[in-house]
Amino acid sequence: MEDLKLKLKQQIIESLNLQGMEPKDIDDNAPLFGEGLGLDSIDSLELMVLLERNYGIKIEDAREGRKVLSSVQSMAEYIQQNKKV
Amino acid sequence: MMNPVYILSACAISPQHSFEVENFLNLVISADDGKLFVAEPDYRRFINPVAIRRMSRQLKMGIACGMRALQLANVSMPDSIITGTGLGSMTDMEHFLKDMITLQEEALNPTFFIQSTYNSVNGWLALQTKSTGYNQTYVHRGFSIELSLLDAQMFLNEAQTSKVALVGCFDELTADYFVVKSKCEYWKESVPNSLNLLSHNHTNGTIAGEGAAFFALTNEPKQLSCALLGLKLLNLPSSKDFLQEIQGFLSKHGVELKDIDVAIVGKNGDARFEYLYDPTLAAFEVETHVLAFKHLTGEYPTASGFALWLAVQLQHWNQIPKQLILKSGTRPKRNILVINHYVLHTASLMLLQQQ
Repeated sequence: MEDLKLKLKQQIIESLNLQGMEPKDIDDNAPLFGEGLGLDSIDSLELMVLLERNYGIKIEDAREGRKVLSSVQSMAEYIQQNKKV
Repeated sequence: MMNPVYILSACAISPQHSFEVENFLNLVISADDGKLFVAEPDYRRFINPVAIRRMSRQLKMGIACGMRALQLANVSMPDSIITGTGLGSMTDMEHFLKDMITLQEEALNPTFFIQSTYNSVNGWLALQTKSTGYNQTYVHRGFSIELSLLDAQMFLNEAQTSKVALVGCFDELTADYFVVKSKCEYWKESVPNSLNLLSHNHTNGTIAGEGAAFFALTNEPKQLSCALLGLKLLNLPSSKDFLQEIQGFLSKHGVELKDIDVAIVGKNGDARFEYLYDPTLAAFEVETHVLAFKHLTGEYPTASGFALWLAVQLQHWNQIPKQLILKSGTRPKRNILVINHYVLHTASLMLLQQQ
């Protein structure tokens, strides 16, 4: 799980071009949107693409997506349960 | 005939240091590989730091240039935003198309798609300034900035009260674009240093460039503003027609060729287009200043935006920078004629008057 979270953080930084950030700067449980990393709605679309491209996971339900994308921890747990790649 | 409009401010991002105008041509930038890329300012002064990380160069150029033009005019919210681009956001479009192929149209990044649309710059400028007024982007290759100016002139002429239109242009150069256009003989095969471009006018092709230019225009005459009296677009002009067209255009505005104090010309060292300029330059008075700029910016569809920026700057300069001078003149810098052409046989004229 720890390896997955580290990899996920690296992928988030690269895919969202979070310049000057390193995986250690992202808290596992901090909210990705709003106060935490301060991501926005376009970032959420990018994260959906990240999940689909790297883990074969397609999130069709917006409410489920909001829950999954709330933190690195929630994303990693969802990936572990649902990954196809 | 439409009334003139008045340029309150101008800002340009170009391969030269034009963003901070006091540094313009203090250090001259040149290229030996036929490509002139812009000298980029610190964009973070003008763009939301959260959004900037996913913006392409062209988007940053356009937004920063537009915001700076408004700042210089002391305008926080324009009544309209009208822009022109010949190519749109090439980087984002190239990313998106490459992803379409490599990922077989699955799981494509939304950012490249969203920002590859031609009106991205306008959208961002509207969001940043909270301007909900008329918002338009023209994409017509070599006529893009000209059509934006024409539309702004109509917008400001129709207005019953004082209005400000933010008008601008932007085009970016990418490696792929350069390769594609080299197959269409846009660029010189034997590439001179960019500063020597204009003397290499016996061979076909030119050098590639990019840039952005923005202007705050209003319908009320203001002291020290520059009036845009009119502009004209020409398709496939012949040598003979071109001079006649220029004379006809000037006479409509009560001016003759001999009244032109400064001519800013879009000569680009391409032997195929010298025919447009030679008879015209020969017809100017000895005292007329003739300036050229494409050896400093390279060629791109909205390069006449840079020429317009130069025209606005003239009133601030006691001496015209020597790097611009094609023919030295003695006239005061009041009546200015911009003559430009683009590769696909389109040409444009702009007549300006310092107030």
